[in-house]
Order: sequence, then C-alpha cells, then structure tokens
Amino acid sequence: MIHIENLVKRYGDLVALNHLNLDIHEGEIFGLLGPNGSGKTTAINCLLSLLKYDKGTIEVFGQSMSPDNYEAKKQIGIVLQNVAVFDELTVYENIDYFCGLYISDKKKRKELVDEAIQFVGLEDYCKMRPKKLSGGLLRRLNIACGIAHKPRLIILDEPTVAVDPQSRNKILEGIQKLNEQGSTIIYTSHYMEEVEQICTRIAIMDHGRVIASGTTEELKKMIKTGETITVEAIPLEEKHLQNIRNLPHVFDIHYENQILTLRCTGAQHNLIRLLNYLQSQDITFGRVFSELPTLNDVFLEITGKQLRD
Amino acid sequence: MFHLIKYNILVKFRNFNMTFWPLVFPLILGTFFFFAFGNLNDADFETVQVAMVQETDSNPLFSFYIEQIEKSDPDLLNIREMDEDTALAALKAKKISGIYYNKMTPSLMVNAHGIPESILQSVLESYSNSLHTIQSIMKNHPSGILDGLSQMADTRELVQEISLGGKTIDGNSQFFYALIAMACLYGCFIGFGSAITLQANLTALAARRCVTPTHKLKLILSEQIASFLLGYIDVIILLIYLRNILKLDFQGQMGKMLIISLFGSLIGVSMGIFVGSLGKISEGIKVAIILALSMVCSFLSGLMNSSMKDLVEKHAPIINRINPAALISDAFYCINVYDDPARYYRNLITLAGMSIIFVLASFLLIRRNRYDSI
Repeated sequence: MIHIENLVKRYGDLVALNHLNLDIHEGEIFGLLGPNGSGKTTAINCLLSLLKYDKGTIEVFGQSMSPDNYEAKKQIGIVLQNVAVFDELTVYENIDYFCGLYISDKKKRKELVDEAIQFVGLEDYCKMRPKKLSGGLLRRLNIACGIAHKPRLIILDEPTVAVDPQSRNKILEGIQKLNEQGSTIIYTSHYMEEVEQICTRIAIMDHGRVIASGTTEELKKMIKTGETITVEAIPLEEKHLQNIRNLPHVFDIHYENQILTLRCTGAQHNLIRLLNYLQSQDITFGRVFSELPTLNDVFLEITGKQLRD
Repeated sequence: MFHLIKYNILVKFRNFNMTFWPLVFPLILGTFFFFAFGNLNDADFETVQVAMVQETDSNPLFSFYIEQIEKSDPDLLNIREMDEDTALAALKAKKISGIYYNKMTPSLMVNAHGIPESILQSVLESYSNSLHTIQSIMKNHPSGILDGLSQMADTRELVQEISLGGKTIDGNSQFFYALIAMACLYGCFIGFGSAITLQANLTALAARRCVTPTHKLKLILSEQIASFLLGYIDVIILLIYLRNILKLDFQGQMGKMLIISLFGSLIGVSMGIFVGSLGKISEGIKVAIILALSMVCSFLSGLMNSSMKDLVEKHAPIINRINPAALISDAFYCINVYDDPARYYRNLITLAGMSIIFVLASFLLIRRNRYDSI
C-alpha cells in the first residue's frame, strides 16, 4: 500500500530522514516507534506531500504521491500530533466541516458524522466548543475529524500525547476497531507499550532511518536479551559477581546499590539457576522478578541508549 | 463550496477579534467625527459688535458705506456710535471687537486677533477699494457716477456655491467618506486571518486542510467569499449607522453607495489575504504591515486632514489613482458631489482590477503545496 524508498530530507546541515525505506501493507497497524526527533513526523509529512524532500520516492496505493494526487488524498485520514480543530465551531460542526472536505453528499455526510461521534464517544458533547473539552476529549475530537469519512488509510501521529490513561485506552481500542473495519493504520509514537499493544508490525526509527522492523516477536528475537532478572536488597562480593557472570546464558550483569540486574540469552531456567546459586552461598535477598524483553531492550541493544533518553 | 463558505462565515463570525474591531472601530470613530464637526455648519454665527467714533473731520462717505453694509446684512455688524473713552472702555471689557475712527482716512482699532477682527478689517479694506473705484469713475467717467454707486450698493452675491452635480457641498463629508473607505480596508484583518489558516507551515489546522482532496483554489475562494461577506456587512452597518442614526445627509443614492462599499470590501479583504500569504514573514510583522497599510491609505485619502487628498493630487497624483482608500472616497465624491459617472466607474474598475491582482497573487503564493519545513 505504501512504498517509501531512499527518502532523504535535510534541514540545512541536519539530516532529518537518512535514506528511509518503508513498506506498509494493506490491513496492517503499522507502528513507527522512535524517540522525539527521530524523524517520525517528518516522514509522515513527506508521505502526505506537505514537506519537500531532497531525494527518494513515495508511492501510496500504487501511485506516486504528490500534492495534486486528490484520488489518493480522498482515501487518507490524518490525525495530527497537534490538535487541529476550529475553536469557534462545536464538536459536531468541526467533524461535519472536515468530513465535508471529503464527502459532498449531505445525507451521507450526516450518517458518517453521527457514526464518528459515536465511535469516539462524544455523543454528550456535540454542542460544546473545543475549549470546554478536557485534553482527552479534545484528542478524541481530533481523531473523529480525521476518520469520519472512513478512509482506507489512517495516519495517527502521536495521538495519545498528554492524554489520561482512560482516554488513552479508549483511543487505542478505537484504533484496533478501525483496523478491524478495514482501515490500514500508520501509528507513530514514542510510547513503546502502546505500539507493542496494538501494532501488527513495527519499524523502530532513530536519526532519520529505520534501525529495525518486524513484528514485536521478530524484533525481540533480533536481540540477545531473552530475559532480564532483577534482584533487590542483595549484598554481594566480587567473587559472587564473578560466579553469577559465569552462570549459563548470562551475558551481562549490573550491580549497584545492592540491586543486581542480569541479562540472559533465552528465557528458560535462568531464574532457578540464579536462586540455586544464591541459596548455596547463603546469600539473603529481597524482591526478585523476571521480565521478558521489551521494545526498549531492542532499542537499547541496537542504539546503546534508552528509547526515552 | 457552500459547505465551506457556511463554516468559514461561522468561524469568522464567532471569532470576537476578527468580527468586533473591524466593525466597532469605524463606528466609534464615526461617532467622534460626528461630535467633533458633524454640526459645524450649524454653529451659530455671532454678529460683530463694533463702535464708531466720529472724529472732527469725519467722512460722510464712510458713514454711508457702513450704513449700507448694516442694511444689506444686519447679522454681520452691529455698529454703535460712542465717544472715544466709552469705546475704549468697551473694547477693553471685550464688549466690542473693534473701534472704527471715522475721519478723512478711516481707521480701525482692535485688541485681539480672530474672526470678528478679520471681518472688521475686511470691511475697512472693502471701503478703501470702493473709494478708489469711485475716485477713478469721477476722474474718468464723471457722468456714470450714479450708475456706479448704485451697482456698488447692490451687494447681492454674484457667485453662488453649488456642486457640479447640483448638490450641496458639505466640507465635512469627506471625513466620513474617508472613514467608510477605512472601514472597507479594515476587511483586510478578516482576509488576513483567512490566509493564515491556509498555510500548512503556519498552523496545524491549515496542514489538516491541505492534506484533504479539496482543491487549494476552492479553499482560497471560499475563504475570500466568507471574508468579503463579513467585511461587507460591517461596512453596510456603518453606512446605516451614519445615515440613519447620526442622520448624515450623503445626498447620493444608497444603491450606488452600496456598490462602492462592495468593491471597497473586496479590495480590503483581498489586500489582507495577500499580505497574509506573503512568504516567510512572521505573523506579527504581517499584522503590522496591514495595520500600517490601512492607516497610511486612509491618511492619504483625507481621514485625518481634509486637504491631504488634494495635496497628494497636486504632488503625486499616481498615489490617488492606486490608493484604495482614495479611490473609494473619490467614488463617493463622484456620486455625491461631482456627478461624474465616468470617474465613478473608473474608480470601481480600478478597485476590481486591484482585487483580482491581489487574489491571483495570493493564490500563486499559497498554492505552493509543499513546504521546506513545518
């Protein structure tokens, strides 16, 4: 559905997109994950023909994307990072206005607007102006304005920024529902949990290029870490640390303030082996927990920094 | 298109700053103008009080002349004969404006400068001129002295002030024409707001509109039409206020005045859209540009100084041919004073032509669909 090849965008000396390559297939919820400034929004703006780019090709629905490609634009819905609604119009009027930029038939438009209002749960706020809505409700209105015309492709650029957990869940559920109804979704975020929760395929971006892509499982398999074990309140000497480092599958240990963190390849029996060793050495300890790798681990292992740095 | 225009009007109408000031500021200014000089023509003219002191060698011709002036225009002078001391005391007490000393060569004494004193001086100069004329007749045509005297005594005005179109010229109406022109140009603030919401590199709202399948020209035109309608309604309200509330008599036909206001609103809005569309200038500077533009145009058309338009016409007439405010106020003159249809239509065509240029230029500036940065 979308093919981006060798896309380069520069702002003076800063390379915002560095030979970006992306392929997004129909029916996916495709996540673009990356820290702030990694080039996600720039990529979206280039895809929408809002931004000039220095090099590369962008194809949408098999056609070259350009500002005059109105046929392609008809099938795209956009939810921008910044809320983009008219303060002077009510909730209903805003959705009707934006839907009207795609759908000229008044009767059909009314049905679509009503459906969108119901979809985002704004039935009780139809006559309210945006300024009277809470942050979460405002985000929902922003989404409704972008999806009311039932587009084939929906691009959501960080739609949950500054949203309360309840509204965030509602938004994420809604996105999955839209996908079930047949829309392909491109979802950008720097919240790895969200991306992990809803996306069927993910591309991790850093410094304007994709550093890894695939399903969540595929991404996790790309890295060495299979399990991360953390033990709190544990007094250890250097000889103990050496012995733990030598346990099977352990490839990295970190000990600070009596907290031990182990990273192991694979995920079987690592915890039991560690506990057996501690017992054999009569070492006391506090809480113990084991975590499977996250997308943050993927990002950390590939770039050497945290996703939220 | 109707959908877009409807919502554009709603958005602008509900935007307090966009609607309030272009409407209310000209209304307030109009009210100030009205109280400042709206009734200037009706101001009471006070008869000039003057004393006549007869000297020993008094001139009967001067007495006769003054008598004739008093008879022909009783409201102009009130002359009382006094002895010199009484006259001087009255002058000091400001009960009279001057003292005529009637002698072979009459003289005038005043102790201030003002309109009454100027009138007394003019009367005296007029006497001297008349005396010179009589002396010339006596010298050259003594037989015609009676005819000459009778014609000099006929003080009926030989020149009557009327307008070319046969309508009364009220010197103050030009302030109100310039005010209406200014109100038309204030439509540029509405047009400016529209231009800002059409550029994706300026607002998220514009970005959202730019990625829709609606053609950019359609977006611009719908904004232009909505802005124009609101601007035009503002000017109509001002016209109604001036005509029906302040009871100003513009004399010209309301229909033609509405047509001028229509073209005036069009140029105002187009100018605003054009300035709003100008490249990489910050919004604050653009606001300063339209503010300066509207005020300078209004100033040059005579909003603050009644002789400004004539001065411009004398020294740089081209400015009056392209200054929208001057064209608008001149069009009002054409229907209310000059009765010059050719000049009226020329002004309207110039306004329409300039509007088209501004709109096309705005389209060329805004239609650029891709931006270097957002």
